[in-house]
Amino acid sequence: MDYNVSVLIEYFPYFIPAAWKTIEVTALGILLGMVLGLLTAFSRLSKNPLFNVPARLYIFMIRGTPLLLQLLFLYFGLRSILNLEAITSAVIALGIHNGAYIAEIFRGAIQSIAVGQMEAARSLGMTYRKAMIRIILPQAFKRAIPPLGNQFIIALKDSSLASAITIKELLLKAQQLASSNYYMMEMLTIAAIFYLFYTSIFTWLFHKIEEKLAVSGSR
Amino acid sequence: MIKVRELEKWFGKLHVLKGIDLDVNPSEVVVIIGASGSGKSTLLRCINFLEKFKKGTVEIDGKVIDKNNEKMKNEMRTHVGMVFQHFNLFPHMTVLQNVIEGPTQVKKISKAKAVEIGKYYLEKVGLSDKEAAYPSMLSGGQKQRVAIARALGMEPSVMLFDEPTSALDPELVGEVLSVMKDLAGEGMTMVVVTHEMGFAREVADRVIYMDDGLIVEEGTPEEIFNNPKVERTQEFLSQIL
Ligand SMILES: Nc1ncnc2c1ncn2[C@@H]1O[C@H](COP(=O)(O)OP(=O)(O)O)[C@@H](O)[C@H]1O
Ligand SMILES: [Mg+2]
Repeated sequence: MDYNVSVLIEYFPYFIPAAWKTIEVTALGILLGMVLGLLTAFSRLSKNPLFNVPARLYIFMIRGTPLLLQLLFLYFGLRSILNLEAITSAVIALGIHNGAYIAEIFRGAIQSIAVGQMEAARSLGMTYRKAMIRIILPQAFKRAIPPLGNQFIIALKDSSLASAITIKELLLKAQQLASSNYYMMEMLTIAAIFYLFYTSIFTWLFHKIEEKLAVSGSR
Repeated sequence: MIKVRELEKWFGKLHVLKGIDLDVNPSEVVVIIGASGSGKSTLLRCINFLEKFKKGTVEIDGKVIDKNNEKMKNEMRTHVGMVFQHFNLFPHMTVLQNVIEGPTQVKKISKAKAVEIGKYYLEKVGLSDKEAAYPSMLSGGQKQRVAIARALGMEPSVMLFDEPTSALDPELVGEVLSVMKDLAGEGMTMVVVTHEMGFAREVADRVIYMDDGLIVEEGTPEEIFNNPKVERTQEFLSQIL
């Protein structure tokens, strides 16, 4: 098998729109996932079954089925009802998928803060809400950062599944180019380089955030 | 100041407080002693409603607290300072921030005024030089003194202490007890759960011995330590002294 390095350089520019697409799907998916995740975490922690039962059900269904199925379900399965654009479907599916995982990350982080913190805050006369916002969440966010970083990297890689619903992100681009130029290995290499570049940036960014937070305050 | 009547508390099937009546008068220092598991912490925590209870009433500053009235409970807690065995300082805030958090966030005092109050109480507990430090940088004794300053920052009318020195290395116990002694000397109303019998003897106006969810005996330190009337108190004291 020949491996043509010059092809890498030659085709690199063709990937740039796809690289943006990957970022777009990932970023919007994560954003939606964060909002859903936070809301779900609080619902899940609520003592009211009206909130915690739907939250449990959501987490159960999403974590119990593959993302690819969820994507296909939203785009093809619900086409007759929703008729969503592919990109919208991809973002929503990725958002809903990550929301379930992010909810569990936040829930775990909130629950990991010792009950003594809530009690100390309440003993000063703070409402539950205020104690959450001022005392528990700042500590919980800090603890959630490493697993969130992980989850974001997973989301980035999972965005490649959007290729199954015609989103021209990195992986689909590589496949399409390869099917006409027959440089399959090279095309996949270019896509891999982009993914590695992105994951490196994510890792570096989260490292910086962790460092910064470690300086301000303890633990 | 504090009036507890027929307080009963269950944890599931476990009957932890079996009918407690307790009065604490202004400027009085009440020390509660008793074996581990006898319900001392639970009693303190019921007084400021950190713990829910099934039966009985708690009256603070002349007001019977309605356990279903969140607003009333929050208001009451601004007058009732609490110091915990494990300090429970806010680790993401500096010492001074810990102390001004309640005044600014709950009492809505201006930042400048709160800082003034905060510095005053930090000086009182001898930690003026630590105001910019984070709790993780402090010794246990210093942490507990910050926790006391944090509670005092709310300018409460009564302070509850739940074994404030039990988590400390022996050489750090003295500095915390000395702060508490000063506080008592200034007329602060205090309810203190402790195993420090020296402190009880010296500072308490009244000592309460609890066993198995009940107040078994109460009296002046002399009465309790020198001639306890109830056999269970005698047994407990002979084990501990
Ligand atoms: N949150 C809780 N859930 C269940 N049981 C508890 C809880 N807190 C305390 N208890 C039980 O209540 C009893 C009294 O506890 P506590 O008030 O902490 O005693 P003390 O402070 O005198 O050592 C003990 O038997 C303890 O195991
Ligand atoms: Mg206790």
